[in-house]
Amino acid sequence: MKAIRDSVDFVLFLAIVGLAAWVIPGAGHLLIRENKRAVIICMTVVGLFVTGLYIGSLAVLEPVQTAWYIFAGQMLTTPAVGMLTDYAQKGDYFVAGRPADIGLIYTIIAGLLNLLCISNAVYMAYTGRGRLIGEDDA
Amino acid sequence: MMTALLAAFTSPIHIGTDWVSMLWMFPLLAAIAIVYKTTKMRVLFWRRFIREVLILFATLSGFMFAAIVVLNLVTWLATS
Repeated sequence: MKAIRDSVDFVLFLAIVGLAAWVIPGAGHLLIRENKRAVIICMTVVGLFVTGLYIGSLAVLEPVQTAWYIFAGQMLTTPAVGMLTDYAQKGDYFVAGRPADIGLIYTIIAGLLNLLCISNAVYMAYTGRGRLIGEDDA
Repeated sequence: MMTALLAAFTSPIHIGTDWVSMLWMFPLLAAIAIVYKTTKMRVLFWRRFIREVLILFATLSGFMFAAIVVLNLVTWLATS
């Protein structure tokens, strides 16, 4: 009985790590005490997404006229993208041409990179890897 | 300050159709190199991490330049 409970707890822990990594990029690694990785991932993924929004404006968050997989890719960055999209839909934003293409690419790549980080955080939690101690080489 | 910051996200920036627009690939390549190495390195030591990120970034950039040259060459051959 204890083994089953431990197993359920472990699966729940993995799910929490995956969910945390999706909600806040890098939070999954933070839960398994990989602080350096967490900070790097958070800054890079969020920075890339914000750069995409800066290039193409909030108009790149357009789930109605673009293909569903584009919005799905953007949503992988964080669920907050959904709220941001809802806000963007109420405004009168427009983008076309190169800024639209580059903005979309940046925001989608940010989501896909976060997907890689989510799977990596869950894998590291599954294999029991926390922070390893060592010295930086010269 | 805050209004100006938010206003920056309400209209797209101008990006032309000349070669300068290709420079926008570099931040993307840098982000890919950083996240890939962050997830793949077993132990994260700063110096080794930065070195490996720079090597991967240079490799990706080199490959992209090669792709640009080849595609331009093919276009030039097809249209001349």
